[in-house]
Amino acid sequence: MNAIVVLLIAGAALVIGYAGYARQINARIIHPDDKKATPAKMYMDGVDFMPASRNVLFGYQFKSIAALGPITGPIVAVTWGWLPALLWIILGTFFIGWVQDYGSMMMSVRRDGDTMGALSYKLVSPRARNILMLFIYFYLLLIMGAFGNQVGKTLMTRPSVPLGMISVTLMGILAGQMTYKWRRDIVLTTVITVGLSFVGIWLGTQPGVVGFFNNLLGLPQSPVLFGTVTRAQFIGTLLVLLFCYLGSILPIWSWAQPVNYVSFWIIGLGMLGGVLGMLIWRPSLGDFPAFTQWNIGPGPLWPMLFVTIACGAISGWHSLVSTSGTARQLERESDALPIGGGAMFLEMLLAVISLLCATAALGGMEGYKAAGGSGAALAVFAEGLSRFLTHVGVPHDLGVAYASVFLTIMGLTIMQLVVRFMRVASAELVGARVPLFKNTHVGTLVALILTAVFVWVIPWLTIWTAFGSANQLMAGLALMLVALWLKSEGKQNAWALYPSAFMLITTVAALFLLAFNQFKAVAAAKTSQSATAAILIGVIAVVLVVAALFLIADGWQALQRKRAAGPVREQEPT
Amino acid sequence: MQTLLPMNVYYRLRNALRHVCRALVEILYGMTVFGWVRGLRRERSEVERLFVLVTFGDLLGLPILPPYYTLRLLPYVVPELERWRLALLRERDWSDSVGHLEM
Repeated sequence: MNAIVVLLIAGAALVIGYAGYARQINARIIHPDDKKATPAKMYMDGVDFMPASRNVLFGYQFKSIAALGPITGPIVAVTWGWLPALLWIILGTFFIGWVQDYGSMMMSVRRDGDTMGALSYKLVSPRARNILMLFIYFYLLLIMGAFGNQVGKTLMTRPSVPLGMISVTLMGILAGQMTYKWRRDIVLTTVITVGLSFVGIWLGTQPGVVGFFNNLLGLPQSPVLFGTVTRAQFIGTLLVLLFCYLGSILPIWSWAQPVNYVSFWIIGLGMLGGVLGMLIWRPSLGDFPAFTQWNIGPGPLWPMLFVTIACGAISGWHSLVSTSGTARQLERESDALPIGGGAMFLEMLLAVISLLCATAALGGMEGYKAAGGSGAALAVFAEGLSRFLTHVGVPHDLGVAYASVFLTIMGLTIMQLVVRFMRVASAELVGARVPLFKNTHVGTLVALILTAVFVWVIPWLTIWTAFGSANQLMAGLALMLVALWLKSEGKQNAWALYPSAFMLITTVAALFLLAFNQFKAVAAAKTSQSATAAILIGVIAVVLVVAALFLIADGWQALQRKRAAGPVREQEPT
Repeated sequence: MQTLLPMNVYYRLRNALRHVCRALVEILYGMTVFGWVRGLRRERSEVERLFVLVTFGDLLGLPILPPYYTLRLLPYVVPELERWRLALLRERDWSDSVGHLEM
């Protein structure tokens, strides 16, 4: 099958899903009313509650939800064959993904801009709010481990990557300086900083620079320092942690924001080039099998496929973004569908492009395995994208370095913001009892030490499965909230309730399986590192399962209460 | 003006193209600079809220009486008072801070 045919199938699913299913739900069940004041207009504090145009919010929503998740998951999932992965991406988005994004956004809009914490408290129980906090904490820790592992232990150990990464970072700092301190025009700033970043990435591929980093990292056969961690991986991870440390403690305008801005252009142009290359080349999927076997790699197809592709089909993170960011900026209720639903369908296309990078671009299963397979997902994507880029005139080695740098930067920008959030969250949650956590550096260092433990001790695929499970549990909770809200309004809720049930059952099953396999691995562990890794993930999986079971029980009770109480009627004006 | 297409079709196509270009520019703005603008607005509002609290805390329910000369700022403060009151007194949840992450 040709890659373009796959893209066309995904495009058709987008059109039918959005124009058919989503619009029907929007019109017949939700009935958006543009005459009603949204929270953005009602409260209008000029900060969080501030109306913004539909197109601006669409771009903002898409950028907030589309990160490394839709790129990584499909690449791991093709271990089961390209067909199951493609079906889950398309059908998952069609029936569940857009429902969560759009539903949680509308729920927040109709409930005065309440965020997920407040909604869980009011619609389910106080305990549900604490459970959500637990999910988010583990989710963030696992994100740090998953991305830190791929970036620090795989991408940064390539000698052509560090200089490119450092260049983009320095250009980001320059962009902040030019914009805020020197008050330069944003277009001029963009042209200069992005242009110089490209020069830095190109310089990173030059023999002198490659030779320098080969010596520094001890490549090609980097010596093992401890456990299974080589010198190259140790230095790569330290660079990642340093980047995150600076991103967490420095003012946001001087580091995080401008680096994020410059990296957007690097990533956007890279993706555009890749898609153009795909359209010019039109490769076929070659001998890549449509289906390999039921039980392989991460585990059996059900439930593991559904937590492996975390974003790209459905992701709990999106409900957090939809409720705490976008819902408070909607100008009109009718904007929710194109923004929430539209951005999710577009992310589906990104996931399909990633799937094609792992399959069509690499010429088949042998190419996929040679590029690193499921254990080096980002390296596979970099290789696949570089092959697409060769068809728009980018030399292969430069293309690999470019794609590796942009994936590195993508991972780092997420990680530094997560560390920032964890620092703030730990200060708020624990700071009253342990005042030391209110210190910026202490909070940051604790988050980074935990990250280092995860990166150096736990195998990547195990972290990714655990991360996917935590993420999908949040999605199940978000859908449950939407179903409860609809029930309380007297509206049909099957379109949210059944997806919620599916996500919760599937994710609990995945966590049971993960915990079982990890505790079995403890008994068979040959080294203390593998035993520690298995215990850590096993305990996290058990905690999440117990939390999920409490959540399901509370959700069921809340549903029964809503059924008994009947819908809330709006008061008639007197 | 001579065109290849009938005038009404030409104007409709031109307007549609302008509409699409404007939408693309806005989407790009949303993906790039919009996050910066939000961050700056948030920082400015934090300073403004502190200023109002310190100078006119009494108007917001706190026993901070404004001195005589501070009352000269009253004409500037009063139009914003409701917005500031909502911002200061609004019930917050920890999940609000997710919206502050500029991905």
